[in-house]
Amino acid sequence: MRKIFKQNEIYIFFIMIALIIIITSFNRSFFTLENFFDLLKGHSYEGILAIGFFLVLLSGGIDVSFTAIAVVGMYIGVYTLILTGLNNIFIALLVAGLVGILLGAINALFIGVFKIPTLITTLGTLSAFQGGLMSYLQATKQTVISDPPTSIVNFGKFAIFRIVTAKGSVIELSIFGFIFAFFAILTWVILKYTTLGRSIKAMGGNREAAKRAGFNILRIQFFIYCYVGFMAGIAGLMFGSYLRYIDPLNLVGNELTIIAAVVLGGASIMGGRGSIIGTVIGVSIITILNTSLVFMKVPQYFQQAVIGAIIVISVSITAYRQKRKDRETRVLDVA
Amino acid sequence: MNEEIISVKNISKRFGAVQALDNVDLVINKGEIHCLVGENGSGKSTLIKIISGVESPDSGDISINGKLYKKLNAIDSMREGIQVIYQDLALFPNLSVGENISLNQRIEKKEKFINWREVRDIAEKELKSIGKAINPDDLVEDLSVANRQIVAICRALTHEAKLIIMDEPTTALTKNEVENLFKIILDLKAQGISVLFISHKLSEVFIISDKIAILRDGKKVGDFKAEELDNEKLVFYMTGKKLVATKFKCEIKQDSGKPLLELKNFTKKGNFLDINLKLYSGEILGIIGLLGSGRSELATAIFGLNKPDSGELFIDGEKVVIDNPGEAIEYGICYLPEDRLSEGLFIEKEIEENLSVIILKNYIKSGLIQRKKLRTDIEKLSKDLNIKTPSLELPVQSLSGGNQQKVVVAKWIAANPKIFILDGPTVGIDVGSKSDIHQIIRNLANKGIGIIIISDEIPEALQNSNRILVMRHGRIVKELESDCITEEELNKIVIESIPKQPEKVSI
Repeated sequence: MRKIFKQNEIYIFFIMIALIIIITSFNRSFFTLENFFDLLKGHSYEGILAIGFFLVLLSGGIDVSFTAIAVVGMYIGVYTLILTGLNNIFIALLVAGLVGILLGAINALFIGVFKIPTLITTLGTLSAFQGGLMSYLQATKQTVISDPPTSIVNFGKFAIFRIVTAKGSVIELSIFGFIFAFFAILTWVILKYTTLGRSIKAMGGNREAAKRAGFNILRIQFFIYCYVGFMAGIAGLMFGSYLRYIDPLNLVGNELTIIAAVVLGGASIMGGRGSIIGTVIGVSIITILNTSLVFMKVPQYFQQAVIGAIIVISVSITAYRQKRKDRETRVLDVA
Repeated sequence: MNEEIISVKNISKRFGAVQALDNVDLVINKGEIHCLVGENGSGKSTLIKIISGVESPDSGDISINGKLYKKLNAIDSMREGIQVIYQDLALFPNLSVGENISLNQRIEKKEKFINWREVRDIAEKELKSIGKAINPDDLVEDLSVANRQIVAICRALTHEAKLIIMDEPTTALTKNEVENLFKIILDLKAQGISVLFISHKLSEVFIISDKIAILRDGKKVGDFKAEELDNEKLVFYMTGKKLVATKFKCEIKQDSGKPLLELKNFTKKGNFLDINLKLYSGEILGIIGLLGSGRSELATAIFGLNKPDSGELFIDGEKVVIDNPGEAIEYGICYLPEDRLSEGLFIEKEIEENLSVIILKNYIKSGLIQRKKLRTDIEKLSKDLNIKTPSLELPVQSLSGGNQQKVVVAKWIAANPKIFILDGPTVGIDVGSKSDIHQIIRNLANKGIGIIIISDEIPEALQNSNRILVMRHGRIVKELESDCITEEELNKIVIESIPKQPEKVSI
């Protein structure tokens, strides 16, 4: 029991609960199944991006290019359907995922083979990926796809089940929540039960030791960035289907929201620490904050300030606890 | 018992202009505890790298378990049961004890999945085999250094190690912990596992080893049985010089006047209690205490890094309050920290920059740094202290431990201290540099600086001070004139002060 309370997840779980109670006291319609399903539908893509960002962070890297990968995956996925006339969501998902893997591999190439620091690499590829897409679109005189194929629209509307309430309103659970849950569980299993997953965590804890123990660091890095790229591509397509509006200028610029969620969830910027469950709670808190602040008519710039404050405060708390821990483990034998 | 585990013959290795190893032989038998000693740069690490397959020799033969290797790579070496435990232990702090013990083995065997039950079982089996009760579920970052070392040893055992090489394993251990480690090493020996032990602490070398191999300047001086050698001979073989251990005599007459530094009832709860001490100009005051006795906490408190709860501090008879190191330096106090790597040096920066960091402000004229003047002064300083480097523009990390420490000392000397506190000035430093540093300290005292040496090496404290304080449980329990006591007597006092406490499993 004491061990459980030592864990960061418990604290942020209670923060989330407290937040829900406070907001519900302002706005009764917040704590309803309908709102919960709505939030899940609209923000699952953020959850998937957060899981990807967390994985990179755990391995000791930082990846800020994920929004660009998502946008590129989204656009090419939808554009393929238009170009080929194949109106099939699975083809779009496949293409978006493959584009994500490819772009992730480019990241891994720079990081693993040319040994360029992860932040520098992905800051570069963030611009390069989106810029590349934009210049292609400009050259071919295309812009926003405001009328995506029906399969994309239907994907956004697809519900696992519907409930009709006594009042006659319809509550739907979108498939998006399931995709999010799928990636969360898959990543958790990889991290917990595979040697690859443990190696990722170990590498984030002590890179030098991993090297000496004979880990194939290059292979691990290719896996991480390709897998994260794949998730970003899928998340991008989900985002586009939800909006039914494929805008290549979307998403990029929202990296900080995701980063805030992951850091709030207890992952360390220095690598090696954090959990999937923490990340999920982190995303939930950020989502709740973002949407409820709108509800409460808080100006948008103030929201931005709140997100920034959350990053700084949660990093400080983690750092402070580390410092306290260091002090506790010091040998002192004084009466 | 005379079964050979490993035998290397006529090994030579050259790096650029440096002949790191020159025709070196080494034979290690089954169940033998072999010590490898030599000064920094004598070729010890190169030899280990060759045995572990990290470097290949220019010439010479390596045979392991009777098999001759023309080219030994790291994986072959591991497969033959050779395991190196480096000083940094190479553990994963964020993983559990169990995983640290079993993970490398699973990767080597190319297992795809983790069976957590098996992880626990492997860890428990190995921990049991060396008789240690550490919970396999604890995180390594929560363990004491001694327990981390045990984890590293267990990990080596999972590879069916036949020879475990330990590179300076005792540097960060308390006396009790060293004894524990030695018990484990003897246990390994009983199981037929050989140990190659590398240490700068010669007293330990005599206690633990069956055989001692001495290297000097890349050449093997010889193999000796532990009982064939004594301290003096060993030092002679290592350095090629007779280092005469003279005793420090306080040459400056104590003008019965004011002490340079005086503490009255200095107390910080849980750190040090009721400390009263006086330090006079020109004397070297030794503080002996074990790791955890509060000795380092006291030193940092004087330097303004660890605010005391109560008590008074006088400098030249005047009561002062020191809130931060900047103020301490203003009062002429300098402090050489116990951990030179993390607290004493900017390890990646140039030697020159490290040396100038304290005194830089004295070289500023109308807002600009007088580079030329600074440079000449620093060059003179590094020559005075005999810092061995081809260029002051190299990073400090390119130096040996002894020369790194000289840089720290030099940095403070440049600041013209009145009071110099040195915490563990020769930890992990080879004998040659050690005596250099002792000489530097004595010269400073002879110039009238008041010096405090904190050490757990009794001979060091005894030889290099005129007065000794013994610290235990945060209190000063004894004050002695170092002329009036022998090493044995002092040893007894310190050992008596070791608390008889139950062994702590994790802290």
